[in-house]
Amino acid sequence: MSHQSPEDLVGHWKGAEAPLLPLLHAFQERDGYIREQALEAISQGLRIPLADLFAQVSFYHHLTLEPDGWDAPRVCDGPVCRQKGSKALLNALPGARPMACSGRCDDPIPVLRRGQLTVGLEAGGLQTRSSPLPPPPPDGVRECVFAKIREPDRATLKGYRGTGGFRGLAWALEADPDALLERLDQSGLRGRGGAGFPTAAKWRAVRDAEGDPKVIVCNADEGEPGCFKDRALLDHDPWAVIEGMLCAAFATGASLGFIYLRYEYPETYGLLEAVLEEAHREGILGEDALGPGRAFHIHLRRGAGAYICGEETALLNSLEGKHPFPRNRPPYPVTHGYRDKPTAVNNVETLASVPPILHEGAEWYRGLGCGEHSGTKLISLSGDIRRPGNYEVPLGLPLATLLEDWAGGPPEGRRIQAVTMAGLSGGFLDARDIAEVTLDDPSIRARGSFLGAGGIIVYDDSRSMRDAATDAMSFFADESCGKCFPCRIGTRRLLERLEGSAGPTAGAEWVDEVKSIGEVMQQTSACGLGQAAPLVTESLIRRFSEDVGWKHEGADPS
Amino acid sequence: MTTENVFELDGRPLRFEDGETIFEAARRAGTAIPSLCYDPRLNAFGGCRMCVVQVEGIAKPVASCTTKITRDMVVKTTTPKVERLRKTLLEMVLSENPDRQVSADRGLAASEMNDLAQRLGVRRGRFAGATSGKSRPEDDNPFILRDYDLCISCYRCVRVCAEREGDYALGVKGRGFATQITAGFDRALGDSTCTYCGQCVQTCPTGALGDKQIMRFESLSAAPETTRTICPYCGVGCSVDLVTKGDRLVGVRPAMDGPANKGALCVKGQFAYDFVQHADRLKTPLVRNEAGELTPASWDEALDRAARGLTESIAKHGRKSVYGVASGRAPNEAAYAMQKLMRMLSGAHYIDNCSRA
Repeated sequence: MSHQSPEDLVGHWKGAEAPLLPLLHAFQERDGYIREQALEAISQGLRIPLADLFAQVSFYHHLTLEPDGWDAPRVCDGPVCRQKGSKALLNALPGARPMACSGRCDDPIPVLRRGQLTVGLEAGGLQTRSSPLPPPPPDGVRECVFAKIREPDRATLKGYRGTGGFRGLAWALEADPDALLERLDQSGLRGRGGAGFPTAAKWRAVRDAEGDPKVIVCNADEGEPGCFKDRALLDHDPWAVIEGMLCAAFATGASLGFIYLRYEYPETYGLLEAVLEEAHREGILGEDALGPGRAFHIHLRRGAGAYICGEETALLNSLEGKHPFPRNRPPYPVTHGYRDKPTAVNNVETLASVPPILHEGAEWYRGLGCGEHSGTKLISLSGDIRRPGNYEVPLGLPLATLLEDWAGGPPEGRRIQAVTMAGLSGGFLDARDIAEVTLDDPSIRARGSFLGAGGIIVYDDSRSMRDAATDAMSFFADESCGKCFPCRIGTRRLLERLEGSAGPTAGAEWVDEVKSIGEVMQQTSACGLGQAAPLVTESLIRRFSEDVGWKHEGADPS
Repeated sequence: MTTENVFELDGRPLRFEDGETIFEAARRAGTAIPSLCYDPRLNAFGGCRMCVVQVEGIAKPVASCTTKITRDMVVKTTTPKVERLRKTLLEMVLSENPDRQVSADRGLAASEMNDLAQRLGVRRGRFAGATSGKSRPEDDNPFILRDYDLCISCYRCVRVCAEREGDYALGVKGRGFATQITAGFDRALGDSTCTYCGQCVQTCPTGALGDKQIMRFESLSAAPETTRTICPYCGVGCSVDLVTKGDRLVGVRPAMDGPANKGALCVKGQFAYDFVQHADRLKTPLVRNEAGELTPASWDEALDRAARGLTESIAKHGRKSVYGVASGRAPNEAAYAMQKLMRMLSGAHYIDNCSRA
C-alpha cells in the first residue's frame, strides 16, 4: 500500500461503492497525514469539489492535515476513562491528544496510534489484547444475543456453524419473506440503537419502496459514550451479525449491504475484513447468497471519528462521500437512503437478535422479558461498579438488581450516587430513581430519560455530579455537527455555564438560562444529539440541585 | 385534484401545490415566518430552526422550510410556544457575535438578522459566552470582505456558491461551535476557485461578508438611491440596481427579479464599475495627428478616419488585410451588424467575437 501512487489508489477505489472514506484512510496510511496533493487527486478522481473535501477532512477527528498527525497517540478521554485517570495518561504520553469515548469502558484506558489500539492505565503499561467477553449472566437467566457468544471459536465460521449458526436464516429461506416479517412482528423486536422503531415495520417499508438496489446498512458506528456492546458482538460473534444482515436482505429484497464501523475499533475492522472475505469465498455472501441468482454483497467501511455519523442520515451522507450533516426528514432512509435507494439502517444488536428469534420463535423471545415486557436488551455497564461489562438483561429487570446482584455493586465503602442512561444522552438518574426504575422504556421515560442504546455509567458518592455533567456536555459540544443553530450554540453555552466560564455561575439566574437554552434545544434541534444533550443539565437541576447552587421551590416536577 | 390540496394556516384554509413546503405556502399567502438560513433560490437547508411552526398531531415544532404540506394539515405559526422558542433561539444566535452594527450597504441581505431582532423584540446581551466566527482581515482581495466575526454559520454563502454559481469555492471547516467558513484549502479567496461573483456577499444575512467596493463610499453622507438598469458588460442582459449617493455611482446590486439573471451577476457586473466615473475614461473619440499623438475628435471625424484606413488598407493589401473582432459587450444584433459590415466591406470572413477569442 505504501508505494501506491495517487493514480493507483484513486483508480483502485474509483468504481467501488462508497469510495471516499477508504480512499482518505488509504492516503493517510500511506503518507501519515492527508496531503493537499492527495485531496487534489481524490477531487479529480471522484469529482468532489476541493473545498468540500477539505471541509470533510476537517470534520472528522481521525483524519489529519498536519504532517505526521496520524502518528500522535489518541487517548480515550470519555467519562469512564476520566474516572480512571485519562488526564494523567494524556500528560504522560508525548504529543498525545484526547479522543472521545472509544467504546472500551470495560477495559483500561484505550490509546489509538496509527490505527493500532492498546489499553493500559500508565504510559509504560500499554498492551494489545482482545476486548473482554461479556461476563456470564446469573444462574437461570436466559439470553438471546449473548446466548452463544462465550462458546469457544464462536467467532470462526466453523465455530459458528457448530454452535447453531445460520439456523435462523435457514428457517427464513425455507419459509418466505412474509413469514419472516410476521415472526419479527410477533416478537416485538424494536431497533436496539436507541430509537426503538419496530424492526419488521422498517424492513417492510424497504421491501415495499420503489427503487433498486435495496440496501442494508449495519450501523456499527457505536459512538455513544459508555456504549460498547456492538464491539463485543462484532469481536466475538461477527457471523451472527452477518446472518442478521442476510435475513434483512431476504426480507427486503436487498442486494447491497454495508457495515459502517467506527474508526476506534481497528481490531474489529481487521476481524470483519477477514470474515467478509471468507463469507464471499464460501458463497455465504455473493451472487447466490440467498439462493440461485439472489445476490447479497456486504462492503465494510470505516468511519473517521464523528459521533454524529451514528445518526442514520449523517451516516448515509458519510458513506456517500458527502459532508456528514444529518439530512432533513422526511423522506426517510426506508425510501431515500444510500444514494436515494430504499435502505434499512439497523443497529448491530438488532441484526444479531434476528437469527435466534427466527429460529426459536416469537413466543420464546417475548418470554425472555420480565412480566409484560418482551425480549432482552444489551446493557453496557461501566464506571464505579465492581464488574463492568456488557450484560443482556430481560427488559423490565429492576436497575438495582443489575447494579447490585449482577455487577457486584459499587466499590468497597462507596454508595452509588447516580447513573447515566442511554450512555450520556439520557442524563442522570439519582439513588431514588435507581431503587425504583426497571430497565424498560416506559419506566425510564416516566423519569424523563430513556434507555437508548443501553449504556449505563455509574457514579459513586466520591464524584461531583456537576463535573460529570460538564464532561458530558463537553462531549456533546465537541460532537455537535454545526448544522443546526440550537445545538451548535446551545451545547457551547450549556458547557460554559457548567464550567462557570461565562454567564451566571450558579443560582436562580443560572437555572433560568440553562432551562431556556435546554428548552430550545429539545424542541427545535434537527436531530437527536441536540434534542437529548440538555437532558444532562435538566436532570442535574432536577436531581442534584445543590450542585448548581439552587433550591427547588415547590414539588419535585418528576 | 388541486381543489383538494388545502391545508389550514393559522385558522384559514389555504391551497397548496404538490411538494410545497409550509414556509413557501405561508410566504405566498403573505405570512412571513422568521428565518435566517432561507434564500428562495436555494434548496431548503433546515439549519437555523427559526422557522419552526406547530403542526397538529406532531409533538415538537417542525421546521417549516423543510416540511412539505400534506392535505388537511393544521399549522399554527404564532403560538406562544413557538414565539418563545424563536425569541430565545435568536437571543442565542445574537450571543455568538460581538454586538456590532454594520452598514446595510455591505450586501443586499446585510441587515436581515438585525431587522428580525427588532421585529421579534428580542433582548440583546443574554447568554453571554464565547464568540464563534473569526474574521479574515489578511485576505486583501479587492472585492469581498470576510468579516466572519459576524458569521452565524447559516451556510447561505457556501450553498449559493455551489448551488447557484457552481464555483464550489467555499466550505465548512471543523464542526459545532468551532465551525468556520473557508475557501478552498482555508486560504484566501484568490487561492480558491472563487470567481468573485459576489453572490455570497448578497445573500449573507448579517454583513459578515461585505462588498468592499461599495464600502469605500460608506462615509459619503448622501442617502443611497437605486436605479434599475441593465448591466452593460455583455449580451446576457442582467438586471442590476445601480446604487448612487448624490451624483456618485457607489455600487451595483443584482436584481433578484431580473428576468435574465434572477439575482446572479459575474465579477465584472458586480464589482467593475469604476470605469464609469474614472478620471481616465475616454469621453470623446481620439484620432492621431500628424505627429502621431492622440487628440480628441468628433464621432464623424473618427468614423471617417476609420473608414478611410480600412478601405485604403484593402485597396493596397487586399481583402484579407483587415480583421474584425466584435465586442463581447455587444448584444446579438450589434454582433450581427458587425459581421455584416466586415463581410460587405472586405468580402472576406475575417470576423470574430472576443467572447470566443
